[in-house]
Amino acid sequence: MPELPRRVDAQPDTVGRDLGRLVLTIVELLRQLMERQALRRVDAGDLPDEKIEQLGLGLMRLEEAMVELREHFGLEPGDLNIDLGPLGNLLGPEAGSR
Amino acid sequence: MSLVWLYAVRHGGADRPPAGPGVDGERPRLVVEGPLVAVVGTVREEEFDEAALARAMEDLDRIERLARAHHAVIVEAAAEEPTAPLRLATVYRDDEAVARMLRERAAEFAQVLERVRDRQEWGVKVYVDAKPEAPAEEPASSGKPGTAYLLRRRADRDRGAQARERARAVADRIDETLAGVAAAAHRMRPQDARLSGRAQEMVLNATYLVDAEAEEGFRAALAAVEADGATVELTGPWPPFSFATLGES
Repeated sequence: MPELPRRVDAQPDTVGRDLGRLVLTIVELLRQLMERQALRRVDAGDLPDEKIEQLGLGLMRLEEAMVELREHFGLEPGDLNIDLGPLGNLLGPEAGSR
Repeated sequence: MSLVWLYAVRHGGADRPPAGPGVDGERPRLVVEGPLVAVVGTVREEEFDEAALARAMEDLDRIERLARAHHAVIVEAAAEEPTAPLRLATVYRDDEAVARMLRERAAEFAQVLERVRDRQEWGVKVYVDAKPEAPAEEPASSGKPGTAYLLRRRADRDRGAQARERARAVADRIDETLAGVAAAAHRMRPQDARLSGRAQEMVLNATYLVDAEAEEGFRAALAAVEADGATVELTGPWPPFSFATLGES
């Protein structure tokens, strides 16, 4: 099950991947929070169309960038879904788990 | 030195102890006290005193071996008489301590054994697809990819919320129906997908205590519930352990 590495093993061949996973996990969490907030504002209906388009484009590019980075580090979507024990998974069940 | 490991309590009779082997490879024995019989095993103190058990509880392989042996003895003991299993790692100093406990808690044991007499336990697990199906056709993009993206994500989110809502309704409906037919019901926390080994998400994990003669009615009730596409898994009949397990008082 995915866990944050207890410590980052400073072996040159794995340190990049471990650090990458840690950073990508945090970025992915922020991206999802931003997306949820954006959807709430769309729901509320107080955003002008061009603002919605802007927000959507930004989030879409961010997601594409995340996929590329994840593939660069050889990670599956579930690898970023940290198991928080009784709290469930960081990114929820939809994000998959390892 | 040795200790006494307690497996189960049942009504006395022309009793043979289960053949075992028990948790320490020993052959189980009986401690008789009035109308009650305790199924026990003599185990080595150095392996089963408090400190050793605390260590054992951190060793998953050892817990598994202990639990399997404990369970096997209980199942054997429960074959004929209503039997109340004890939790794993219930250990007494000697037979006299076991007999004293049986005397002190005789009324409680009698009540529990009466509750499970001629009844069986059934397990029901309900699974739904964790990922709601994708929409049939994307609306044609109108030169606004960002807006289309956001709307798609919104549809995903709403579909997920609806799926969870439906799953909860199915779980409640099945549980209510079965609890109405059963003598007692016990709803547990759904297991994580990694434990259940399924791609689907578990939304109901419950056990029901059912009169042996009501089995047909129970099965019919389950078959009649509208499951709304959910996968329903029925297991049993089991000895009614969930409704008879005794803890330390």
